[in-house]
Amino acid sequence: MSAKILSKILYSILPVLGVLLLWQALDEFKIINPILIPPPTKVFTAIIEWAKSGELFTDFYTSIWRGIAGLLIGSAIGVLLGLITGRNSRMNLILTPILNVFKAFPPVAMLPIFITFFGIGDFSKIFSISFATIFPLWVNTHLGSSSIPIEFIRSATLLSQSRSKIFFKIIIPASMNSIIAGFRISIAISFIMLYVSELAGASSGLGYQISSSHLSYRIDKMFGALIVLGLTASMIDLISNRVIKYFFPWVQLKKIM
Amino acid sequence: MSYVSVFVRNLSVQYGTNSVLKGVNFDIGNGEFICIVGKSGTGKTTLLNSLSGFINYQGIVTVNGNIGFCFQSHSLFPWMTVAENIGFGLSKVNGREKNEIVADLLKKIDLEKYADNYPNELSGGQTQRVALGRAIAYNPQILMLDEPFSSLDIYTRDQMIDWVLKLISELKITVLMVTHYLDEALILADRIFVLKEKNIANILPVSFPKPRLQAIRYTEEFQKRKQELSALINHIDK
Repeated sequence: MSAKILSKILYSILPVLGVLLLWQALDEFKIINPILIPPPTKVFTAIIEWAKSGELFTDFYTSIWRGIAGLLIGSAIGVLLGLITGRNSRMNLILTPILNVFKAFPPVAMLPIFITFFGIGDFSKIFSISFATIFPLWVNTHLGSSSIPIEFIRSATLLSQSRSKIFFKIIIPASMNSIIAGFRISIAISFIMLYVSELAGASSGLGYQISSSHLSYRIDKMFGALIVLGLTASMIDLISNRVIKYFFPWVQLKKIM
Repeated sequence: MSYVSVFVRNLSVQYGTNSVLKGVNFDIGNGEFICIVGKSGTGKTTLLNSLSGFINYQGIVTVNGNIGFCFQSHSLFPWMTVAENIGFGLSKVNGREKNEIVADLLKKIDLEKYADNYPNELSGGQTQRVALGRAIAYNPQILMLDEPFSSLDIYTRDQMIDWVLKLISELKITVLMVTHYLDEALILADRIFVLKEKNIANILPVSFPKPRLQAIRYTEEFQKRKQELSALINHIDK
């Protein structure tokens, strides 16, 4: 392993280790209440127990499937709406006022309505995650597709008479920077909504575990579930960065970050 | 010249209430190289855009043939490689022939090694060569260049002028080029259109013998024509 890669890994890991050591030290020296904030050793023991019981993998898989399904459905709808309102001024006039009204509704407040309509199963959870993720994608796609440099469109029009070719080969790629920025915001929002939706009527999932551990005073397991949820969100973000870099190498991720 | 490549009568362009071009008339013969000069805001780019059909205009514009266009900036598609950019306009050509045309053009623009590179990996001069390569890929009869070298440093610009001279002599197409640089106009053009007061105020024939070399800019005759051209552009009507 090269020195450069090793130093990159160390720069990433050392602060995390530092935080864990500090956390442990605060507990050892009784600066924090171990009942309210259990030490990392106890938290990790709870995670291991949870894994050994097999429930961690069920909860992880359940949450991942809900989160990703909701994220992808909401993203697809948001991107489609953004391309329509960004490229068609008449549709923009028609749709944007309605979308702005829905955008103003707090997704968390909409959850009881979704449960009333769709029940307490997975559908309402996925629907609520989708609802929350539509709007960042809509806004960003609209901005990206409506501000494509005119020279791209003019070049494309001269070089090709096919409107579908121009749409798929020019409009969409030219909007990608903004679409991906919106997508990364939506990843974070989807995990917030995932947690909130699993508080109501779930029997498995990482959000459910956070809630049920809290109610049964298993604070160590609650922290453990929080850490697993956070790590899952980070992992999804990291994987999506890699996928974006592979399929869209011209997108400037550093600028988006 | 065997026929008229571009025929314009009474061309007028208005943006809102602001008139940019008014009653412009000219003909351009097949194979001519025309440079359009003038102060900023006189309508040079507007003229090219109206001839290309990018903007609405009044009057008669007849362009005999396909148009290739090279913009000042934002010319290449950043998400496509050099080869993909050049091949974008060749959709009516089958795969093998398309690859051959692209390979031939890459050789012509001296960027064979950069076929799989993205535009952000190229220098300014390389980017403009690819832009020109893409503009001529589908054999247009008329090439329109909107200040293609303005973003380049002086040394790269001189190299590009040499390269364009060589390319145009091989292709024998009609060229309309907007430029701020009088040296460039006098080295490249057969005629220079001076835009002023919303119209073509002067048409200056350039009679230096061809093929032209950059060294002619140091001759007395060249400097005299340059001063004459500058006076035409800067002349203030009473």
